[in-house]
Amino acid sequence: MKGTDRYLGRWFHDVLDIFNRELKQILHDGGVMIIFIVAGFLYPILYNFVYKNGLLEDTPIAVVEQASCSDTRRLIREMDATREISIAYRCVDMEEAKALFQQRKVNGIIFFPADFGDKLAHDETAVFSIYADMSSFLYYKNLLMGSEFVMLHEINAIKIERYAASGLTDAEADAAVRTVRYEDVNPYNRAFSYSIFLISAILMLIIQQVMFYGMSMSVGTMREENRSFASLPDSLAGHGVGRVVLGRGAVYWLIFMLIGIYVACIMPAIFRFPQRGLYGDILVLLVIFVTDCVFFSMAWSTLVTRRESAFILFLFMSPVCVFLTGFSWPDTAFPGVWKVFSYLFPSTFGCKAFINLNTAGADLEIVSPLLRALVVQTGIYFVLACLAIYVENFVLKRKNTIEEKRAAVRERVESRISDRIGGNFDAGI
Amino acid sequence: MNLSQKIRNVVLRELRIWARRPIYLLGSVFVMAFCTIFYLSFLRDGVPSDLPIAVVDMDRSSVSRNFSRQLGATQLGKVIPYEDYSSARRDLQGGRITAVCLIPEGFARDIQSQRQPTCSFYVNGLYFLGGSLAWKDLLTMVNLTAGAVQREVLRMKGVPESRIGGLLRPVDIDVHQIGNATMNYGANLANMMIPGMLQMVIIIILIYSLGAEMKYGTGRHLLQVTEHDIFAAVAGKMTVYTLLFTMIGWSIEMILYKWMHFPLAGRLWEMLLACFLLVIASESVAVLIVGCVPVCRFALSIGALYSVLGLSLTGFTLPVVVMPRALQGLSMMYPLRHYYDLYVQAGIFGSGFGAWYPQVVILLLFCLLPFAVMPRLAHAYTYLDYERN
Repeated sequence: MKGTDRYLGRWFHDVLDIFNRELKQILHDGGVMIIFIVAGFLYPILYNFVYKNGLLEDTPIAVVEQASCSDTRRLIREMDATREISIAYRCVDMEEAKALFQQRKVNGIIFFPADFGDKLAHDETAVFSIYADMSSFLYYKNLLMGSEFVMLHEINAIKIERYAASGLTDAEADAAVRTVRYEDVNPYNRAFSYSIFLISAILMLIIQQVMFYGMSMSVGTMREENRSFASLPDSLAGHGVGRVVLGRGAVYWLIFMLIGIYVACIMPAIFRFPQRGLYGDILVLLVIFVTDCVFFSMAWSTLVTRRESAFILFLFMSPVCVFLTGFSWPDTAFPGVWKVFSYLFPSTFGCKAFINLNTAGADLEIVSPLLRALVVQTGIYFVLACLAIYVENFVLKRKNTIEEKRAAVRERVESRISDRIGGNFDAGI
Repeated sequence: MNLSQKIRNVVLRELRIWARRPIYLLGSVFVMAFCTIFYLSFLRDGVPSDLPIAVVDMDRSSVSRNFSRQLGATQLGKVIPYEDYSSARRDLQGGRITAVCLIPEGFARDIQSQRQPTCSFYVNGLYFLGGSLAWKDLLTMVNLTAGAVQREVLRMKGVPESRIGGLLRPVDIDVHQIGNATMNYGANLANMMIPGMLQMVIIIILIYSLGAEMKYGTGRHLLQVTEHDIFAAVAGKMTVYTLLFTMIGWSIEMILYKWMHFPLAGRLWEMLLACFLLVIASESVAVLIVGCVPVCRFALSIGALYSVLGLSLTGFTLPVVVMPRALQGLSMMYPLRHYYDLYVQAGIFGSGFGAWYPQVVILLLFCLLPFAVMPRLAHAYTYLDYERN
């Protein structure tokens, strides 16, 4: 019993010692602090600022109207009134509209051919054309949605008119036109706002990436100064791998729980972002996610040999991780290789869990498969982090003993030589 | 020693550094190869297909079964049947399905008796592309169903077949997508993501190359081989990296437009020119950053923060006009933004030199930036009086 007590006491003492050393190291490192503070605290603000107005409204459009009848005039008026489109120019012919299009004064053209009014009058299908600028899909979406809404609305009015002309009464015509009604609900992102979709996904990723770059920088610095991050206190005689991992991890865990609460709870509140989840649920997610990120960063940062390598070799992973979370490109469309690859990153599960919890208002039970995946990942990365430290330590020790032996051999040889040539070894060289 | 000799010295010196430290080639060639392979294979489908759409069929009639069969037969949708709404809603909230379509009880009966049943669909707009495509798919299907029913009614009333078309669809839209006729999202994203990654890699590698001279205290040696000519030193470094990155960039452009056959309205040489200008402008930005902050690690951190933000500020996803005014100005400070503008003119509209020459001028103006910091950089290299690391 006493032995256990002593062991536990020793254990906590060691963890605390390692914790202190790591904390000091971080606080004294300007580069790491820049990453933590600027990236951790300013990036969420910047991204919120960039995507503040997530809605593209009143996309400027040029209209070429060759039909000049009252129907087209009404259509144009209604299109101008939509949220999506604003009729910026009325052109005489397509050449003029094309010029405006190329000068990027408009992002789309609507063309009413000369026979539009005639076809309407003859009860035929009247066709108008739209030309969308595909340089951004949002232009296309706006032009299509704006004109389609107006068209659907108009269609029903015209249809009722025509059906009445075919001998149906008003009520009959209405029932015949709208045989099936529909209501579309987009409960979590009502207007398809770009910012709600992007920001809720990117926040968790910021936590992961900032931690990884920060820790890699710190590890790289230690390596450059010929200290190993893996070195165990001498008193441990090589048995404290768990203590090193937990002691170092605790520092990052504490810092990133702070950053995490700021990023996941305070930031959305400041920018009046939807927060439909429960605070407690999000905290549970943060605890699991940050722990996972700590061991993830620890395991991968063992590969970093110099301070800057993390940026040079891994910066490009940030946008890649954005795609791998599957919120922009649906994960059902992932090629198999990349699906497996995405399981390497905590963000794959963490981002989704955060979107579902915070923005869609899900509860813990709904996201439990994601949380389970995070926990499994945490376990694997913990073992990997321990293994990395164990191996590094083993190699270091071997190197030390080899070097000691070499030094001893060299000394013996030198002394023998100096004996033979009569003490003038140094001079002779 | 004349200028060309000095530059040659720097170039040879840089090549020796590459041979000694693989990180330069690893960070440029390997990283760009990975990114190209990643984006092109990841987005290879162009348009996502088989989005999981839940159908809660409370009617269980032949009409509703037909509806969900047809929905499943579309390219975009894959129908997953659910027993009740609440379990479908939970999966929608958990992001496992993109939309829920609720067919009410008595759907077929109400259609027959013209009581206008209401179909409801719920879309998860948090998964932007999946959500909006599923929404579009559902909307199309509902309209088609309504049209089929109307056709039946009209036939019943004895309306001649020739008039039914006009009655069902009095107005139609003929959609033309300029610059991406096949609606290939993959082309749209990869076209800008890969050059965006190139800008990022150029800035990081060049900052490191210039910063490492201070970090390892070799700045004086660099100046020695150019007889203390900082212009030759910077020009030499830029020459090597321009060659390297132009080769990488041109290979990427060839892959995008020749191998993948992504739509390109203009000529290939226009994109090659744009790529070359992107390379030298990004390099100039890197020199500016190192010159302003002649400490390797700070410069790298700043370069990283700058270049990651560039992907958003370029505006190929969310257009720049939507951003706050201050950021619209900031976006002008990214070479990638002008590359994008040039691409829109040359690649999408194919409007020729007259339309894209302003972008060329702006990108060339970026090349003046290094001159502003050269004296400062020379000072830092000579005296090494900033923090080393």
